[in-house]
Amino acid sequence: METIAVYWESRIKTYGFQRITDLSLIELSYAISDTKSLGELFSQDDLKTLKPKFILAQVTNHEISFIFCLPLEESKSLCRVLEETSHPISYRYTHPVSIVFFHGPHFGDRYGIADATFSSLSKAGIKVLASGCSLASVFLVLAAHDIDKAEEILAETFEVAK
Amino acid sequence: MEKLKIGGLKQSLELCQFELRGVHSSEEIALKVSKLLLSQKINMEFLTHSTQRNNYHQLTFCVSQDKFSPVLEILKKEHSLPIGWEISSRGNVGIITIFPHQSALKILGIVMVSWTSQSIPIYGIATSLSAISFITDYQLIDKAIQVVQDLFHLPEDHSPLKPEIRYVQSDIVKGD
Repeated sequence: METIAVYWESRIKTYGFQRITDLSLIELSYAISDTKSLGELFSQDDLKTLKPKFILAQVTNHEISFIFCLPLEESKSLCRVLEETSHPISYRYTHPVSIVFFHGPHFGDRYGIADATFSSLSKAGIKVLASGCSLASVFLVLAAHDIDKAEEILAETFEVAK
Repeated sequence: MEKLKIGGLKQSLELCQFELRGVHSSEEIALKVSKLLLSQKINMEFLTHSTQRNNYHQLTFCVSQDKFSPVLEILKKEHSLPIGWEISSRGNVGIITIFPHQSALKILGIVMVSWTSQSIPIYGIATSLSAISFITDYQLIDKAIQVVQDLFHLPEDHSPLKPEIRYVQSDIVKGD
């Protein structure tokens, strides 16, 4: 069952960086006891054409908090549904934000990827608004004006496989 | 009603989950924790961090279940974390990843409704380019997968649900 994988790279390899710009960030929290009704809201047909570029949810003792990154027009549809439901859901809205994301060989199985990412961005003074690492991908939500600098820093930190 | 098509489904091995909450800068906590785990050569298999609406920051991450005690120990060590940060931990969790073709938000909503109805908890969610990952109880993972298989149409030839290989990164290199 157990396989020992050996990596030795002076710079961690990635398959390259991709970015998505001009997105809206919608943040909301909901009582965890009402997760079902929030799920019913998300699964309604009015929202089935939405294609969020990034979603994360975190749980505390009493609440589940969501972040959605959506293209501007789609974000308006989600806001409308949140406002027009029988018990309107308050949210925080930020526009514009950007996403840079990347993946690499066995990113999900290796240590050190997160440190390389956060260390390099922190040294450059770039604030990460939200992030999610699952499977072999790293997604970073940034203020729109930081995207060029962030990609430049990440390209110096990681080696893009040819 | 016709079932929505999904491209595949997979589950993780047994993991444990840590949640850190506080008012310090979230990226600094992500940096601090990733450095602590790097020093112990521990891989994070899942990570999310964000600022919540009450201005609290939260970092959630999962590591292999066999790393539960070492990680708890380094997090609780004096000066590891900023003063006032709360640490909560949860052992024996697993991640189910769904690969949707489309309608990711609808699939998310359907899973939330169905799992909640069957008392299957959701401890965290993150998407990547082509997948939605849900953290739940490892002891309920078979039940959670069965619910997903009943809800969605999977391709006939989808790859195995359970991991067949566990990779462990070694720092010993031949000829080094």
